[in-house]
Amino acid sequence: MNCNLLTWTVFTPMAGALAILFVPRENKGAVRTIGTAAAAVSFLISLALLAGFDTGGSASGLQFVEKWDWIPTFNIQYYLGVDGLSLPLMLLTTLLTLVSLIFSFSIEERVKEYWFWFLVLDAGMLGVFCAMDLILFYVFWELCLVPMYFLIGIWGGPKKEFAAIKFFLYTLFGSVFMLLGILALYFNTTPHTFDMIEMARQAAANPLWLPERFQILVFLAFYLAFAIKVPAFPFHTWLPLAHVEAPTAVSVILAGVLLKMGGYGLLRVSYSILPWGFKWFLPALVVIAFIGIVYGALCSMAQTDLKKMVAYSSVNHMGYCLLGIAAVNATGFSGAMLQMVAHGLITGALFLLVGVLYDRAHTRDISAFGGLGVRVPLYTGIMMTTAFASLGLPGLAGFWGEFMAFLGAFQRFPLWTILSVAGLLVTAAFFLRMIQKIFLGPLNVKWSDLQEINARELAAVLPLTALTVLIGVWPKLALDLMNPTINHMIKTLEPLFK
Amino acid sequence: MALESLQLLYPEILLSALALILLAADLWIPPRHGRALFHFGMLAAGLTLAMLGLSYPAAAGASSASALWVADPLSLFFKVIVLVTTVMTLLLSLDYPLPSEHLGSFSALVLFATLGMMLLVSATDLLLIFLSLELVSISSFILTGFHRGDLKSSEGAIKYFLIGAFSSAIMVYGISLFYGAAGTTSLTGLHLEMTPMLLFSLMLLVVGFGFKASIAPFHLWVPDAYEGAPTPVTLFLSVAPKVAALAAMLRVFLHLLPASGVELAGIFSFLAMLTMTVGNFTAIFQTNVKRMLAYSSIAQAGYMLIGFVAGGQKGIEGVLMYSLVYLFMNLGAFAVAIVIGNQESYELDAYDGLAKRHLPMALLMTFFLLSLAGIPPLGGFVAKFYVFAAAIEARLYVLAVVGVLNSVVSVYYYMLIAYHMFFKPARTDKPINTGLYLTCGLTVAALGVFLLGLYPDPFILTVKASAVMAGPHVASAAPARVPAAAGR
Repeated sequence: MNCNLLTWTVFTPMAGALAILFVPRENKGAVRTIGTAAAAVSFLISLALLAGFDTGGSASGLQFVEKWDWIPTFNIQYYLGVDGLSLPLMLLTTLLTLVSLIFSFSIEERVKEYWFWFLVLDAGMLGVFCAMDLILFYVFWELCLVPMYFLIGIWGGPKKEFAAIKFFLYTLFGSVFMLLGILALYFNTTPHTFDMIEMARQAAANPLWLPERFQILVFLAFYLAFAIKVPAFPFHTWLPLAHVEAPTAVSVILAGVLLKMGGYGLLRVSYSILPWGFKWFLPALVVIAFIGIVYGALCSMAQTDLKKMVAYSSVNHMGYCLLGIAAVNATGFSGAMLQMVAHGLITGALFLLVGVLYDRAHTRDISAFGGLGVRVPLYTGIMMTTAFASLGLPGLAGFWGEFMAFLGAFQRFPLWTILSVAGLLVTAAFFLRMIQKIFLGPLNVKWSDLQEINARELAAVLPLTALTVLIGVWPKLALDLMNPTINHMIKTLEPLFK
Repeated sequence: MALESLQLLYPEILLSALALILLAADLWIPPRHGRALFHFGMLAAGLTLAMLGLSYPAAAGASSASALWVADPLSLFFKVIVLVTTVMTLLLSLDYPLPSEHLGSFSALVLFATLGMMLLVSATDLLLIFLSLELVSISSFILTGFHRGDLKSSEGAIKYFLIGAFSSAIMVYGISLFYGAAGTTSLTGLHLEMTPMLLFSLMLLVVGFGFKASIAPFHLWVPDAYEGAPTPVTLFLSVAPKVAALAAMLRVFLHLLPASGVELAGIFSFLAMLTMTVGNFTAIFQTNVKRMLAYSSIAQAGYMLIGFVAGGQKGIEGVLMYSLVYLFMNLGAFAVAIVIGNQESYELDAYDGLAKRHLPMALLMTFFLLSLAGIPPLGGFVAKFYVFAAAIEARLYVLAVVGVLNSVVSVYYYMLIAYHMFFKPARTDKPINTGLYLTCGLTVAALGVFLLGLYPDPFILTVKASAVMAGPHVASAAPARVPAAAGR
């Protein structure tokens, strides 16, 4: 029983995008209806995936597999499948896309193009998480770049053009090296293949299935692409600009999904296929994670612009994710995966909430507000919950990922883990400062007629908040999806990383 | 033997006969009916295509005709590409404001140039190579200057002519030295020793080919000639002579000379890197779309050279694949350029706000440009994939890295056009009118770019079947490949 559910999930948005092209541009209503419907259908199908997903202990392999020849001459396949790494991120993608699109109803300018690019982007992201052929993976990976360029460049803030091209060139710079890495892998496998699962199988059987030096070189080629996406220090400099200039819904997708492609790639490709290269790089990776955590937090602390603060906090949060990956044990990997999901939900919500405030106040200067808690209590409540989740308060989703990442990493790199804890303190500090300056204290009279968050915005934010709380009190929900796959991944390469 | 193989020459004979008729018809047909001659020219190229199919019965492997030239799958492939380019050039010319007189000569010249290229891709003798190159060049000089009243057109033609004549002279000198070293101008059945004189003569030949294929540092005529020429001619020049010259280079430098004991691929590695880099970095600073596409076409020649340097079966296939894709994406980009140029100008500013004025056109242009940049899932990606795969297989890592870095650079200026189309406000809201023929051209280009990107397998199989050259087999007589100094 397969029904090609994955193809449907990935290509429903694409079909929606194509349909939108044939709608006259004046008919904004039809564009929005088609777009929302496509995203909603894709979301529902992904829920069907979740319902049909086998989480039994033995179900570590791919499910919902679809495999056809695409370019047989090069042994390139249309090969889709999901396992515990893919499925949570696919669910996150369909959900965040849907809520971002609901939030995007307020976009009035060039509606047709906006929805077209957004849905193409959605298809690209979904494809990345379920493609199991490296070329297909690369095609989807690149498919995310172009829509993002237009989304930032047309509907973004004051420096949008520069932000758009910087994002495009920066990420492309990384991914072309990935292409070379993919080709190098192809010509060094027997028989020549782009099949990730087959490569991972060979690597599991013998971690030195490719010569040491070769693995290191190819690892670095892939790492460049993934590190830029994550973004890991020192390749994070595109992020603040892109996140801040992008329109709200696009920031949500950037932070919520695009960054995860890097972490996902590290686990799916770098660890599984190039274990020796991964091992060689581990000591550097933990330092990079540490720098990301502390430096990201400090940068966040220094911001006066609310959106910039959230943007830099992403560097910090993805640092936890890298820390968990550097742990190379089940706890660490689960922590990293959970952190990715949680960060997607929480930061997605934070960007939406910042957008809500900005739409009303037309400023994001943290010091410009004060005492909003009195004026907009509902908004304040949601924002505070989300901020607490982001700083890792136990009981909310952010806590478990960070906790498990630290727990896992402590076993391998105690010193760096302890040093990284400093990041937690700073994160707490800047979120609390933000809450204090914006929501507490006497009401700044300038904002005495600020409007409360409206129904459409609530519809976009509340699902994320609800999931944040749900995963916070019951993390098993998410962990059960991931654990069989992660345990299997760890077990197969255990001797190498002892 | 002679008469049997004559039928392999039927397509060329047919084409020259029809071109001559066209030239004569120009005297009798009044200018107001001149456009009918374009249709006749397209018909002639179409008939030649059909004849090509007929004269290769069942595509029975490689068949040699004489010591002067061969008809083999490789030449067939490039002849088809050249003829399709010719048809598309004449098609686009129908919607392009050319001077109303001598339209028959225009078509005839395009056909003569085509004839030259058809001979060029088959030639195995340096003299025939030279003659066919001259046929291409002289026709192209006149075509470039076809806007007689326009100073830029004349300037481009004169520059093209001067540099072209100069390069022809260098080539002849090379050929004469080669004759001195080898005792013949034929390239088949030789056993050569590498002497300084031979090496020098080969260098001169490389220079001669380099001019035609617009390989840096012999590319200086390109921007002015491309900018001045009527835009359909620019399209023609940017595709047909370039791929034909590359095909001839494939035959000479990767097949015939290695079979006679001479291996030259090393210097091409350097030329490939230089060509890509010069083309891309100069394109960044252009404000005229024709000039930008001119430099882009130089860079594209550099990517094709990657396949050339990688050599081997995969490298040759890469060049073929790239030529095929390049035809469609350049056709698309120039077709849009003609649409905008007809109504506004060829300056970048003319593209301001095109997305608001005509969204499908802006999207198509974006796709053509992204394809040129090699972004999947478009045809250009498959082409780049092929040449980079060849480079990686041949362990030319430095060359591959330089190649991909260049693709990143190229995205900047390709996206500069997208920036004008999508990010800038429109300066007028005059509607964009696309002519019927331009629409045809755009449709063909779009189909090609998407089909080649999404379902390339049939084309890859064609390319594989076509990367076969007649004559001495390299495998048996091949010397050990001298490792290239650069790029390894």
